[in-house]
Amino acid sequence: MKRVLPGFGLSLGFTLVYLSLLILLPLSGLVFKASTLSFEQFWSIATGERALAAYRVTFGASLLAALINAFFGLVVAWVLVRYPFPGKRFVDSLVDLPFALPTSVAGITLATLYAGNGWIGRHLEPLGLKVAFTPLGIVVALTFISLPFVVRTLQPVIEDIEPEIEEAAASLGASRFQTFFRVLLPGIFPALLTGFTLAFSRAIGEYGSVIFIAGNMPLISEITPLLIISKLEQYDVVGATALACVMLAISFVLLLAVNALQWWSANRHQSRRTGA
Amino acid sequence: MSIEIQNIGKRFGNFVALDNINLTIPTGELVALLGPSGCGKTTLLRIIAGMESADEGVVKFGGEEATHLHARDRQVGFVFQHYALFRHMSVFENVAFGLRVKPKHERPSEAEIRRRVLDLLKLVQLDWLADRYPSQLSGGQRQRIALARALAVEPKVLLLDEPFGALDTKVRKELRRWLRRLHDEMHISSVFVTHDQEEALEVADRVVVMNHGKVEQIGTPDEVYSNPASPFVYQFLGNVNVFHSRVHGAWANVGADSAEGVPPKGKEALAFVRPHDIDIEHTPVAGGIEATVQDVHAIGPMVRVELAHASELIEVELTRERANVLQLAKGQCVWLKPRQVKVFSVPEVPLEEGGSGI
Amino acid sequence: MSSYVARKANAEPRWVRLSLTGIGLGFLFFFLALPLVAVFAEAFSGGWGAYLEALQHPEALSAIALTVLIAVVVLPFNIAFGVAAAWAIARFDFRGKSLLITLIDLPFAVSPVVVGLVSLLIFGAQGVFGPWLAAHGIKIVFALPGMILVTLFITFPFVARELIPLMQAQGRDEEEAAVSLGASGWQMFFRVTLPNIKWGLLYGVILANARAMGEFGAVSVVSGHIRGETNTLPLYVEIIYNEYNAIGAFGAASVLALLALVTLVAKTLVEWRMRQETEMLEAGLPPEKTS
Repeated sequence: MKRVLPGFGLSLGFTLVYLSLLILLPLSGLVFKASTLSFEQFWSIATGERALAAYRVTFGASLLAALINAFFGLVVAWVLVRYPFPGKRFVDSLVDLPFALPTSVAGITLATLYAGNGWIGRHLEPLGLKVAFTPLGIVVALTFISLPFVVRTLQPVIEDIEPEIEEAAASLGASRFQTFFRVLLPGIFPALLTGFTLAFSRAIGEYGSVIFIAGNMPLISEITPLLIISKLEQYDVVGATALACVMLAISFVLLLAVNALQWWSANRHQSRRTGA
Repeated sequence: MSIEIQNIGKRFGNFVALDNINLTIPTGELVALLGPSGCGKTTLLRIIAGMESADEGVVKFGGEEATHLHARDRQVGFVFQHYALFRHMSVFENVAFGLRVKPKHERPSEAEIRRRVLDLLKLVQLDWLADRYPSQLSGGQRQRIALARALAVEPKVLLLDEPFGALDTKVRKELRRWLRRLHDEMHISSVFVTHDQEEALEVADRVVVMNHGKVEQIGTPDEVYSNPASPFVYQFLGNVNVFHSRVHGAWANVGADSAEGVPPKGKEALAFVRPHDIDIEHTPVAGGIEATVQDVHAIGPMVRVELAHASELIEVELTRERANVLQLAKGQCVWLKPRQVKVFSVPEVPLEEGGSGI
Repeated sequence: MSSYVARKANAEPRWVRLSLTGIGLGFLFFFLALPLVAVFAEAFSGGWGAYLEALQHPEALSAIALTVLIAVVVLPFNIAFGVAAAWAIARFDFRGKSLLITLIDLPFAVSPVVVGLVSLLIFGAQGVFGPWLAAHGIKIVFALPGMILVTLFITFPFVARELIPLMQAQGRDEEEAAVSLGASGWQMFFRVTLPNIKWGLLYGVILANARAMGEFGAVSVVSGHIRGETNTLPLYVEIIYNEYNAIGAFGAASVLALLALVTLVAKTLVEWRMRQETEMLEAGLPPEKTS
């Protein structure tokens, strides 16, 4: 079929060249560098004691942050869509703050707030809760920077719920609680999972906001991106490259997971055979 | 269970959706709420279901006050125009939903749920679809599943909001006959909302004609069609020719013989005649008026003739046999004689033009 | 903003509504509002004089200038790439389209630190092109070109991500009509396509700009932290914070926080404008002309 609209060759060509120069070339550089290592060398760096501890901190804190955001994000999205309150428009805009605020600003601010003499830290410390310069601080920073994902993924989905669905459940005798957990939650669950995965994926790669609040103690509160940086600062480019490869592989898996989730939520219950 | 509606009123801002509605629906009847869009019929249905609250008035189920009862406690089955099936649940789970959310001590056993759901699916003739999801069904199938789901909790009252509105004509006709049979088997009271007069007249035991938030007439399909209580009902239920009595003095006189509630002599009046209640003759007839044939269309089993009298257009419907006998041609002069005329005084609110049924 | 009105049967009890609102707003208060207020409170903790003095420091000024420069260089590339990619993806069918869309999402998934590291591996002294670049006297890493490169990488999805769904939703009818009426490709683009996507484009640019000015991790790796030369504002914040100059750090941070607020306001306005236009299109009315 002949294309009616012009510019296919030009636009696709430009897109591909641009992407190749910006993504494929650099990433192949990474793989090239990593390939100078033997597998045993790579494996011993990637599974070194400090690296394993860094993975644990990074994934543990990211998982916690994403879970916190999944719960509170659901509540926030629900409240923003469903309940009227003064200043709602302002609050709705504020949700995007973590996208707009540079991470280093977030980092120094959270570190100051949660330090022993900070506005929040001063009330937590007497309770024996140290946040700043502990792994808990990492969770706080990661919660902040990944906060918008769940809210923004859920909002349009909650808006699209047909009120008739809930009325149908009510007329069948379901309580509000039953309606939410049996009818509404299954419907918005794919979006919740997508938002959770996006938040998790963002949290794993985060660097700027964490380093100020984490304390950065090797084996305890050192995240993987920071470990890459410190290897670089010690001119251990090979070590940094090996860790970066691990991170990159995880990013790819998460990216595919998000795509698969979105495909699943669009197609579930429709992919089975149809017709008589 | 009978439904009583007393003095129900509802406003949305300045818009009066329902104005002092009174209606009693006896047990076992199938009642149609019929009217144009915006007449308040859906609002009334939703108030009966407990999905909308009335500003004033009382709703009683079986003589018991239910005005402030929550929708979930009314034991009402509700069927939505767009089905409102739960899309992440299979057909089986959709129908089982109402049983599964019952409080533990009332909830039937798993085997009992299974038996009842399959019985209902057999009743709606879709038991072979139990494992499918709503998105894999046709519109007609979805609406039957929605009905089965509503019936699963053994409601005392079944409410249907334009249940066939989203379906195409053929399926719509099949489903409404099927609904009638189902209603007779279930022995419950049913109320359905429709804007389709044919649907209301064919299916319902009684028809409630509504307009501008008020009940215009309540009666059997035959009563509301043959003996409309108001010009609106006349116009809404089928095609009609409207004549101003001043123009057609002769017909107002003719009509005066057969119509009730005739306004005093000399006052302005409207005469209503259905197109199939007019006969055409080639020769002058007593009480007839003269008209010129403008157009003749054969539409299925009948023939529609458009005629001009002075500046007004008159529609007449003839059987094919009668049209064959008459052999009408464009431009021909003929005489019209009404078989049945109804005369009303001129209403304060002007009637919409071209009172066809939709 | 949606104007959801709970129908009677769907309303939660009052105490549920109030406690959910309380939980949601409380969470946002502690995690968003309080940090935002804290930035400015810390910046002004030494009074106006100290604040202004901190901002007028030559290193702060040069950091601001560098931040703006990088954004100004990067944004045109973002726009060109975003429009081209959206045109190809939204208007044509070709093999590998979904792979392409996934690739465009890549910078959202990759850690900024990895992005910076990759630039080092390519252009650094020991990198693939390192020796060649050194021989020709071209400096990329630990200099401005490297910082621009990583910022390009980090920000390129924003415009494309905004335009692709928008253009897919709009369909190709109008452009086909323009072509059938004899418009050339560029005439069609400037007279039909661009007016239709201008708000979406602006939206993407606003987001890309915020990220370009605020990027920290990737830029940090390739900047070399040469004071007064290769420090952007976010990097400058880090350096003087680590020198325990809280007022200076938060002074610079307040500028960035202000930028974030401006971004949020602009974003809200554009969203409002886009919604207004879609509503008017749906109502079949022409968009209201701004006077």
